[in-house]
Amino acid sequence: MLFGISIIRWILIALALFFIIDRFLRFIKKETGQTFYKLFSTLFIWGAVLIISIFPDFAYFISAKLGMGKNLNTLIFFGFVVVFMILFKILSAIEKIEKEITKIVREMGMKLKI
Amino acid sequence: MAKIFIIIPAYNEEKVIGKVIADIKKEGYRNIIVVDDGSADKTEEVAKKKGATVLRHILNRGKGAAAKTGLQYAKSQNADIVVTLDGDGQHNPKDIKKMIKKINDGYEVVLGSRFLNKKNKMPLFNRLANFFANVLVFLVYDFWTTDSQSGFRAYSKKALDLIDTSSDRYEFDSEVIREIARHKLKVTEVPIDVFYTPYSLSKKQKQNFINGIKTFLKILNS
Repeated sequence: MLFGISIIRWILIALALFFIIDRFLRFIKKETGQTFYKLFSTLFIWGAVLIISIFPDFAYFISAKLGMGKNLNTLIFFGFVVVFMILFKILSAIEKIEKEITKIVREMGMKLKI
Repeated sequence: MAKIFIIIPAYNEEKVIGKVIADIKKEGYRNIIVVDDGSADKTEEVAKKKGATVLRHILNRGKGAAAKTGLQYAKSQNADIVVTLDGDGQHNPKDIKKMIKKINDGYEVVLGSRFLNKKNKMPLFNRLANFFANVLVFLVYDFWTTDSQSGFRAYSKKALDLIDTSSDRYEFDSEVIREIARHKLKVTEVPIDVFYTPYSLSKKQKQNFINGIKTFLKILNS
């Protein structure tokens, strides 16, 4: 415990700060592939980790504001739902890309008949 | 005279593809299309040397993708009958004749069945895995076949026009069954020989377990 904060929370704080600063710097330097959407996502996800690591009661506050009372499990459950939705979206995108690749490979194969 | 095309999807088959092509030629077929699915070995060179037309995938996309490339090519060449068979030498080109006869008799799709030929000695694991796949295909597509995973099949022009698949991997064979059921194509099965050599078995073992699970999930998801 340091300043009344456990080691795991310090690690989370450090990680969150690292990712937020890193993304900010990349965005400012206008590195390729650094979109506003990526910056916003990083801020949203790692920002939430940072706030909850510093103020653990914040999760209860959100939970209460959303009308779930002190039931944090419900909030965690919704977190999982969101994660699965994102996962599903990513898998669909990969499948679509796979199909496109096959189409290109097939077209090339037919044109480059040996 | 019907335009007959023989399609062979092949991936790293340099050791056997030459013999497969030579055996098909011995049966009198000339339009032999090898779809080299991104092989890292000399499959392409060997097939070309033996006189086959080679369509090369620059990346490995799977057996289903390769078969579909072959079928599309045959269609673009106005094929009347197309026969697909595996490139690992497990099928007997002598069986092509009876499949084509069935198409000429009016069937739109002919499925080669390894299980209708009692002489075939298939390893128990393969037998069970295939039976399980047949039951699953029946439950999902409401179509019973004794060999839903056989790659040895013949298609008429009408079947070529109607069958539309999207699977790149081993689910392709099951997807064709779905299309047969969907379009109510006139279908029959013929007994075929199967040669399980140490070579073909070593390839099969790699495919069976993981791809079996993937195929299972894809059929359920289709």
